[in-house]
Amino acid sequence: MTLDAKLKAGQAPPAGGPRRGRAGLSVPRRYSAVGLWVFFIVLFGILQFHLFLTVSTVQVVFSQGAVTALLALAALVPLTTDTYDLSIGETMSLGIVMMTWFGANTHLPFALTVVIVVAVSCCIGWVSGFIVVRFRVNSLIATLGMSQLLSAAQLYISQNREIPGNFSQAVLNLGNGKLWGIPYLDIYLLVIAVVAWFVLEQTPLGRRMLAVGGNSEAARLAGIKSDRIRWGTLVVSGGIAGFAGVLYSVQVGAYTSDIGSGYLFPALAAVFFGASQLSQRPNVWGTIIAYFALAFGVQGLTLQFGAGAFWVSPLFQGAALIIAVALANSRGAIGNGRDGRMLRRFRRPAVEEEASQP
Amino acid sequence: MKLILSGITKTFPGQVALRGVDLSVTYGEVHALVGQNGSGKSTLIKILSGYHEPDPGGSAELDGARFTLGSADLADAAGLRFVHQDLGLVLSLSVLDNVLLGREYPTGRLGQIRWPVVQQQVGTYLRQLGVDVDPRTAVGDLSLAERAGVAIARAVSDTSDQPMAIVLDEPTAALPPDEVRRLLEILDRLRRDGHAVLLVTHHLGEVLEVADRVTVLRDGRVVASAPRAEFDHDKLASLIVGETIVSAVGGPGGGTIREQAGGDPASEADPVLETDNVSGGRVRRLDLAVRRCEIVGIAGITGSGRESVAPLLTGRLGRRGEMRVNGRTLPPGDPSEALGRGVAQVAGERARYGLFPNLSLRGNLTISDLGRHRRHGRISAKGEQAETADWIRRLNIAATGTDVPIMTLSGGNQQKVLIGRALRLDPSLLVLDDPTMGIDIGARAQVHKIVEDCAENGMAIVLVSTDSDELARLADRVLVMKDGIVAEQLDRGPALTADAIDMTLARGVGAGPGAAPSFASPGGES
Repeated sequence: MTLDAKLKAGQAPPAGGPRRGRAGLSVPRRYSAVGLWVFFIVLFGILQFHLFLTVSTVQVVFSQGAVTALLALAALVPLTTDTYDLSIGETMSLGIVMMTWFGANTHLPFALTVVIVVAVSCCIGWVSGFIVVRFRVNSLIATLGMSQLLSAAQLYISQNREIPGNFSQAVLNLGNGKLWGIPYLDIYLLVIAVVAWFVLEQTPLGRRMLAVGGNSEAARLAGIKSDRIRWGTLVVSGGIAGFAGVLYSVQVGAYTSDIGSGYLFPALAAVFFGASQLSQRPNVWGTIIAYFALAFGVQGLTLQFGAGAFWVSPLFQGAALIIAVALANSRGAIGNGRDGRMLRRFRRPAVEEEASQP
Repeated sequence: MKLILSGITKTFPGQVALRGVDLSVTYGEVHALVGQNGSGKSTLIKILSGYHEPDPGGSAELDGARFTLGSADLADAAGLRFVHQDLGLVLSLSVLDNVLLGREYPTGRLGQIRWPVVQQQVGTYLRQLGVDVDPRTAVGDLSLAERAGVAIARAVSDTSDQPMAIVLDEPTAALPPDEVRRLLEILDRLRRDGHAVLLVTHHLGEVLEVADRVTVLRDGRVVASAPRAEFDHDKLASLIVGETIVSAVGGPGGGTIREQAGGDPASEADPVLETDNVSGGRVRRLDLAVRRCEIVGIAGITGSGRESVAPLLTGRLGRRGEMRVNGRTLPPGDPSEALGRGVAQVAGERARYGLFPNLSLRGNLTISDLGRHRRHGRISAKGEQAETADWIRRLNIAATGTDVPIMTLSGGNQQKVLIGRALRLDPSLLVLDDPTMGIDIGARAQVHKIVEDCAENGMAIVLVSTDSDELARLADRVLVMKDGIVAEQLDRGPALTADAIDMTLARGVGAGPGAAPSFASPGGES
């Protein structure tokens, strides 16, 4: 350093003021899910004037969507730590098998079966966490493998047959009743969402989870037990997914095979889309809003193309998932911590490396 | 045959990197290019490789014909080849694939690769260089010197017999001493095959061993360019650092120098940090004792073990050997435990080891201890904001609020947030790893002030730095690392100047006890 530079050092003004970064995004983008929701309502309101804008449409979407939205919250919890749980669909499905099997073959009290199912689901998450933390397997792969194992367990229990649950009317009421016109299921969803929001946004634990998701190595150096937290989030996501299975079975009352993956995709789409919303990182209300915005779109398309158009939903969900991940990636909302770097790399080849090239 | 550069100047906004540099590289010779960081070596290399365009006025000549600088394609066509410090090899691929990476494979009629031909070709190149490896081995399984050999083979392999100019940028920086010798042997082979070798290095020992000609750059100028015989170790070192060594009593540029902590009664007390035969990473042995109010500086070129010191002390790297903080043994590899015992750190490489890009300034600051803001299970935003505002004021952080996203701050301000994160724990030991790396000059001065204040208030500080000026300014003593051990200690006093530290660094491997690579008698085991 030169003498001049040193002399200047003493009197230099405070280093550069705030600069515009990616986090300083404009407001409309952060609420684009709300915009999309309004767009779908207006669009299908015009196209399907008599069918779409009815109380029943709203009730159908909200009562059918509650389970999937809950599953989205299951995916959200580990995603805050940049850990991916792709086994939630099959965990939920296994929960349904177990619930209906208990209902059909045992006389255990309903409440006890719920506890068993949620506990087993938590254990599934624990095992995934064990694989991810102890064997250093990328969570995408670990949980993808786990989902196949769970699928095998379901097939073993159900023998690939439909299982009627033989639930009592009181139990089915828990899944289909309404309070002031609001389905019970949405109330359960709301309660869990509020708890998740509180923990994530209000408590030290939530802050640590986000820190792990932002930079797991820095989190470790800041004294956070990164591994333990990631492990814990997988246990919680398993538990929530199992509970989603409980809700599904009291709503529908029976198990049919191949439920899991059909629920996984909309849930993931909602989480990733939600991560690009509001606070621009995985968050509860963004996820819920994103889910129902997409659900209204699917409902509108289904009405538009008639009940026979089975292709509408997977087409829409697949496209939504891809767009959602691309969006969340481009905002830097996911993939900062560890496992998600893999996802980011596909989209943006080595921005950092470029800068360091000679 | 010669490559001649004359009058090369390169101006960057606000800075002249090269001023009329002349360089003449003769084929069949090893030409060493030496100089401190910032002397213009990298810029010169980048101009040769076509990454930078020189300012108009300079010219380049190859074998009597003019050629244009500033184009990567032209440089390549002229037979200039570059081996960068990181070698650019894919560790999981075989030697064969690495050598042919990005080249045309010889193929048969069906487009299949003709492996026997390939193997034979690559084998020939490797043999010519004296690199004795099976071309089918994965590069990751080779020693570091062998890897360098593969990288060089790759550089020279794509044209048949034309002599080339090969530029090696710090090829020995990461090599252990015994492997340096093998690399120098490869350079000798290149020279004998008629190639020109331009060797950029910090190790004067190597220069004196292998070079035919030496060019010294300082502040963007050539200060000497002559046959090797005209230099000896001390002369080279003083040319590199400049003539100011003798007269630089009282500190470089008259910056405020800390008063010596020696008179302080606290220094008689038990040390805050003691390490006993600690090793791990690139460190082979580290024995340290740091007392209250003391700043111990750690210097060393890259590869010397300097870069592993902070990670070892703070638990990022696993370590062997005993480390005691305030008299109690600290278990290895556990950052959380280290923090609990009062060892706070500001890690090097902010983005990688420090920042949470998804959190606000406040979130980034308070993450080190959230417990103090917990009210009824939740974080009290008010208390947190109050504390953050307090730190913003105390550390003079330029930010518009406590909740701005961390990535919107400048590097210097981000760094101050990380310092605040460490200081709010009121640690007894603070480990700083290049705390002013990549931040502007004003913020740098402020960071220095903060560090000084901390020491004055009784903190023990380990300051690992690549910035000699910073070390001279802050440290009570500076330990210079070499080959994984502390090779030299410079104590506070008129003699502890940035130039003296640079001088010790520049003396490099050659001055280390028994570490001088002897080119005359290459190792028998290769």
